[in-house]
Amino acid sequence: MAVYRLGYQRYQGPLTTHWQRLLVLPRYAWRRLFQQRLVLILLVASLIWPLLCGGYIYVSHRLDLLGSLPGNLKDAVEIGGKFFLVFMDVQAVFSVLLAALAGPGLIAPDLANNALPLYFSRPLTRFDYVAARMATLVGLLSLITWIPGVVLFWMQAGMAGWSWFAVNWYLGAGIFFGFALWILVVSLVALACSAYVKWRIVAGGLVLGFFFILTGVAQMVNAVLRVGWGSLLNPARSHYILWSAMLGVDLPPGPGVWPCVIVLTVTALALALVLERKLRAVEVIS
Amino acid sequence: MPSVIETDNLRLMLGRREILKGISCRLGVSGAGKAIGLLGPNGAGKSTLIQTLLGFHRPLAGSARILGFDCHRQAREVRSRIGYMPESDSFIANMTAVSFLHLMGELSGMPSEAALEKAHEVLFHVGLGEARYRNLGTYSLGMKQMAKLAQAIVHGPELVILDEPTNGLDPSARLRMLKLVREMKEDHGMSVVLCSHLLRDVEEVCDEVVIMKDGLIVHQANLEEERRSNRRFAELEVSGDDSELAAALGAVGAEAVSEGGGRWRVVLPPAFEVPGLWQITARLGLNVRKLTHRRDSLEEIFMKAVGHLQRTPGDEAAAEPQAEEANAHGRL
Repeated sequence: MAVYRLGYQRYQGPLTTHWQRLLVLPRYAWRRLFQQRLVLILLVASLIWPLLCGGYIYVSHRLDLLGSLPGNLKDAVEIGGKFFLVFMDVQAVFSVLLAALAGPGLIAPDLANNALPLYFSRPLTRFDYVAARMATLVGLLSLITWIPGVVLFWMQAGMAGWSWFAVNWYLGAGIFFGFALWILVVSLVALACSAYVKWRIVAGGLVLGFFFILTGVAQMVNAVLRVGWGSLLNPARSHYILWSAMLGVDLPPGPGVWPCVIVLTVTALALALVLERKLRAVEVIS
Repeated sequence: MPSVIETDNLRLMLGRREILKGISCRLGVSGAGKAIGLLGPNGAGKSTLIQTLLGFHRPLAGSARILGFDCHRQAREVRSRIGYMPESDSFIANMTAVSFLHLMGELSGMPSEAALEKAHEVLFHVGLGEARYRNLGTYSLGMKQMAKLAQAIVHGPELVILDEPTNGLDPSARLRMLKLVREMKEDHGMSVVLCSHLLRDVEEVCDEVVIMKDGLIVHQANLEEERRSNRRFAELEVSGDDSELAAALGAVGAEAVSEGGGRWRVVLPPAFEVPGLWQITARLGLNVRKLTHRRDSLEEIFMKAVGHLQRTPGDEAAAEPQAEEANAHGRL
């Protein structure tokens, strides 16, 4: 029967589980994100560097091609912690750009259009909402961070053999957990900025500002005060130090691992607090 | 059967202000398909009460239950059984009405296919069938109100909470909205909570009414019973010898009390109709100077409850100036 002839009847059928409901929001968000040409272009651009790294790994194992290279160049192409650290550093920049592009569209429009009462009057808590929004970013950023990173690691392990894997297994774990931590912080920054300002463009600018301006501020503090702890103000630098430790690379000058862990934990908590304060079904002005 | 809404000394502070000051009530019966009107002047706490019931605010003290489930401890159970139409503009940007309702249906727990089918069905039901592929941002205020109603009922909830549903609607759209609300309870067995400051809307649709003022419930009435009892009450003023009137009325089962000067208050028996009074007075040779089939309108109930009227509507001298003032404003 044609739908306009059906007439309204109450739905009496089976209901989905809580987890299925949670995935509804990311599904809709991904669908809308992938309709944006800019997001697609950036996503494709973000995969160029992993492809180049994959090519590099392949070439480095073709000994017949490397046979003619001098000894110091052979050492330079060695695949190890340093190689994956450079890979992570480059992908981190792309992930910030992608988060700045995709993140603000997740919460800001809901706040601007007062949609939160519609979500929170359904079987969806504030925590569920944030988790669902974060899952959207985590899924998107995973495509350009730990997934290609782990693929590269297994590619190298496959080509270099069991002996290499037995010695360097921690690199795989470092790539996964290093990126997981990075995605968490980047997603929290993007969501907090999106919740703090209701305009998408301003929120996007705020995400970029958070990373790039803080980088400048940290360098300025280090230069003016002639100290190293200024790097703690730069979340990207703090991550770099953590990644270096995880991948077994010599730590760069500056604060140690634990101060970075503390600063990143405090940053994540502060961002979670912003979300807790801003994401309410109704705004109470006291 | 549990009550639709049950609160016990519900108190709520927002900032330093106490908005709900100990609300205790039992309203409606689950599954009965009745509408409860929540009335009150602006700032009385109606919307805040609804938001507290929905779990948007954490109460300072007391408890609240909807359909037998605790609003805070069993929030998920409660929310899966209700549909909420907020007062202010609420929608999701850059979405067609169909996608919006599809999403809302899925979030309420419907499988994707069923949610899509219901989205189309409900949009036709509320009169947005032809505009269902249009972006919500392009809708007029009236269409947005209908879209909000549609999202509240897309998943077929047991209870629908409507916060000022006729705001911004033109007369024909208002009538359509009220018709839809009546259909929800009468044809689909949904319980409805209608929060409004428009007395006529509540009077037309609701079976029960709660009047709030300053964060307190000041009056609770069953409109159905009020209407029934009002139909049975008449005021009569006659000239002539009315000494046999009480007996004549008693013979048909009516109770009559003389107030002197030919004025009578009469409680009519269930099957007796008002024109019968004319026949009795004619038989006794009395001239009827006044016959009022008195009806306590919701407006009078409301005015009394919020303290605008100090006496009953029968005492016209005291009541009329304020009642006229209220009529002049139309809205409270």
